[in-house]
Amino acid sequence: MSDFSYLVQFFFSGLTSGSIYALIAVSLVIVYRASQLICFSQGEFYVFGALIMASLLMKGIPLLAAFLLSLLSSVIMAGFIQYIVIRRLLKKPIGMLIVMTIAISLALRGFALLIWGRESYVVRPFFQVAPLSFVGATLPSQVFLIMGVTALVLLCLWLFFEKTLIGLAMRACAENPDAASLMGINVHRMSLFAWMWGGAIGAISGMVVAPLLFTQYTSGIMPMVKGFIAMSIGGLTGISGAALGGFLLGLTEAFTVGLVSSRFSDAIVFTILIIVLIFKPSGLFARSQ
Amino acid sequence: MLLRLLDTKIPKKTKKIPYSSLTYCENKKKKKGGTIMKRLVCLCSLTAFLVLCILVAPSFSQKTAKGPYVIGGIFPLTGYLSWLGEYKKKGSELKAELINEAGGVDGTPLKLVVYDDQSSPEQAAKIAQRLISKDGAVFLIGTASVPISGAVASIANKEKVPAIIGSGYEVDPKKDKYVFNTAHKTDFAIARPFEYFKKSGMTKVALLMPIGSLGELGSRLARKYAPSYGITIVGEEKFDIKAPDVTAQLAKLKTLNPSAIFSFCTGEPAALVARNMAQLGMKIPLLVSHGNANPGFLRLVKDIDVPILVPSGRATLPNELPDSDPCKKVIIEFSKRHEQKYGEPANYYSAEMVDAVAIIAEVIKRTGSREGEKLVKGIENLKNFVGMQGVYKFSEDDHHGTALEDMMVLTIKDGKWRLLHR
Repeated sequence: MSDFSYLVQFFFSGLTSGSIYALIAVSLVIVYRASQLICFSQGEFYVFGALIMASLLMKGIPLLAAFLLSLLSSVIMAGFIQYIVIRRLLKKPIGMLIVMTIAISLALRGFALLIWGRESYVVRPFFQVAPLSFVGATLPSQVFLIMGVTALVLLCLWLFFEKTLIGLAMRACAENPDAASLMGINVHRMSLFAWMWGGAIGAISGMVVAPLLFTQYTSGIMPMVKGFIAMSIGGLTGISGAALGGFLLGLTEAFTVGLVSSRFSDAIVFTILIIVLIFKPSGLFARSQ
Repeated sequence: MLLRLLDTKIPKKTKKIPYSSLTYCENKKKKKGGTIMKRLVCLCSLTAFLVLCILVAPSFSQKTAKGPYVIGGIFPLTGYLSWLGEYKKKGSELKAELINEAGGVDGTPLKLVVYDDQSSPEQAAKIAQRLISKDGAVFLIGTASVPISGAVASIANKEKVPAIIGSGYEVDPKKDKYVFNTAHKTDFAIARPFEYFKKSGMTKVALLMPIGSLGELGSRLARKYAPSYGITIVGEEKFDIKAPDVTAQLAKLKTLNPSAIFSFCTGEPAALVARNMAQLGMKIPLLVSHGNANPGFLRLVKDIDVPILVPSGRATLPNELPDSDPCKKVIIEFSKRHEQKYGEPANYYSAEMVDAVAIIAEVIKRTGSREGEKLVKGIENLKNFVGMQGVYKFSEDDHHGTALEDMMVLTIKDGKWRLLHR
C-alpha cells in the first residue's frame, strides 16, 4: 500500500463510521424538529430494528419482508410509547420530557434483554458483493447501501417537511404549539407522527448498519452518543446539517487515528465539539436565524 | 355523640389542693421528673443496645451458627459484560447444586446468593459489602474484568473475607491476602501463544489494543514476553471498544508487514478486528484474549475468513485431552450435567466459577471453619487439587494455582474449536 492508498483507506474508514453516525443524527433531528425534544430513547429503536430483523432472518424470512416487518414493528412501538406516555406529558416542562425519554430508553433496554438475552447477533450483508477496492484501500459494499439509504431518507424527509401539509403542520407545532393548536392543528397527533418518524428512521439505521457491527441489547448506547455529538456539531434543526455532522465526525476520527494517533481520537472529537458549541452553538451547518 | 359520651366521663370539678400541700407536691413532681428522666435514659440505652444487637446479629449469627455456608456471587448480568456473566452464574449454581445433592459439605449445604454488578466496579463493591454484612457470606466469588475485580478485592481484604475471582486481575498475595483467582494468569495467555509463534517462525507481531486497562495490560505483557520468544513488536495502535470500524488502525499496521496481529480484547471488539482484517484481505493470524473461548464468540466469527487464535483452559476441548490427563474426567462429567441442564457444554467462564465453588467446598471441609484467616490458609495449603482449569497448586506466594501448561492455544475451523498448540 502506498501513502496515497492509506489516505484513501482512512477516508473509507471515516465514511463507514460517518454513515452510521449520520443516520442516527438524522433520526434525532426529526423528533427534535417536530417536538423540540431530544429523544434519548432513539438508540433503542435502532437496537429493536436490528434485533427484530436479525430474529426474523434467523427464522428464514426473506430479507425484504424481515426489513419491512421490523420497520412496521418499530413504528408501532414508537407510536404506542407516544400515545401511552409522552402524550400525557406534552404540556409539562421540557426537562421532565427528556427525563422520561431516558426512562423509556432504560425500560426498552430491559425488554430487549428479556427478549434477546445478552448475546450479540450477526446479520449478513444485504448484498453479497465484494468490498470496493480502490488503489489498495477497501470499502465494504454495505457502506454504499447506508449512504444510499441516508440520501433516500433525507430526500423523503425534505419532501415530507417542505411539500406536504402534514409536514408543514408538524413544523408549525414545533415552532409554536399553542398557535398551531389555535389554527386547528391537532398537536397530539403531530407529536405522534414525529415519534413514528423517529422510530422508523431509528429502526432503518439499526437495520442497515447491523451487517457492519454486532448487535446486542446495549448496542444503542454508542450510536446514540455519537449521533448526538454529530447532531450538535451539524446543527440541531437542520437534517442535512446533522448528516454532514455525522460524516465529519467519522472522517475526523479516522484521520486522527491514521495521521496522528488513536490515543487522541476522542480528545480531538470532543475538542471540536467544545469549539463548535462555544463559537457556533446552533451548529456548523445551521442556517442563521 | 362520642364527644358527649367522653364529656360525661371527664369530671367537671377537680379536687382542690390546699395551699400548704403545694410545696410537697412540687417536691413530689421533681422526684417524679427525676424518675422519668432515669427511665428515659434506661429506655434509650436499651433501645441503643437492641439496635446494636440487630446490626451485629446477621453477620454474627450467620457466621457462627450452623446455617448453610453462604457464598456471595458477584456477576455482571447486565451491562457490557453481561454476555459472560450468565455463563459464570450458571456454572457456579450448578456446581453448588451438585455438591448439595451429594450431601453438602459434611452435611451442611452451600447457599449461593447471587447479585448483578451491572458491569460496574462501584456496584460490585457495594454488592460485596452487602453480601458480607447482610447476607453473611463466608466467601465471595465472581467478577469479570480487571477494574471490577480490583473493587471486589479491596472489600475482601478490608473485611477479611476470602474472594475467589475469575478475571485477568493479577493477584499479588502480599497486597491481596484474601483474594484468589481461578482464571489463568494473563501472562500465560500471552506466553503460550508466543511459544506457538516462535515454533511457527512468526517473529513480527503488531499490537492493536483496546483503550483502557485491559489494553495496557496486554501491551505491557506482550512487550515483556516478546524478547524471551525471539519476537519483535513491530508497532502498536489503539482503538475504542465501542468504535464501529478499525480499518484505519489495521491499514497503518499492515504497512509494517507483521506476521501476526495481537489484540487483547474480548467479544464484539475482537470479532470486529477479525472482520475488518478480512475486509482488508489480511490473512495473518489474529491472537485475541483467553476470554473468547466460549460459544458466543464462536457464533460471532463463524463466517470470518481470518485465522483466529484463542488461548484457553482445558474445559473448552476436553475430548482433545489424553486419557492420562487428570482434568479430563472432571470436565467431561460436569460438562454432561451442564448440557443436560442448560443445553450447552461448560466453557472457560463456567469452568472458572465451577472450580471456585469446588475449592470453597474442599477448603471448608478441610478446615471446618468460617473464619477468613483460616480459610485463606486452607486454600494456600491446597496442593494438586484437580479442577476444570487445571491442577491447582496454591501457596502463600501463588494465589492463582495454575501453571503455563494448563493453558492451550485453540483456533476455529468450520465453526468449531480446534486444538492448535499444547
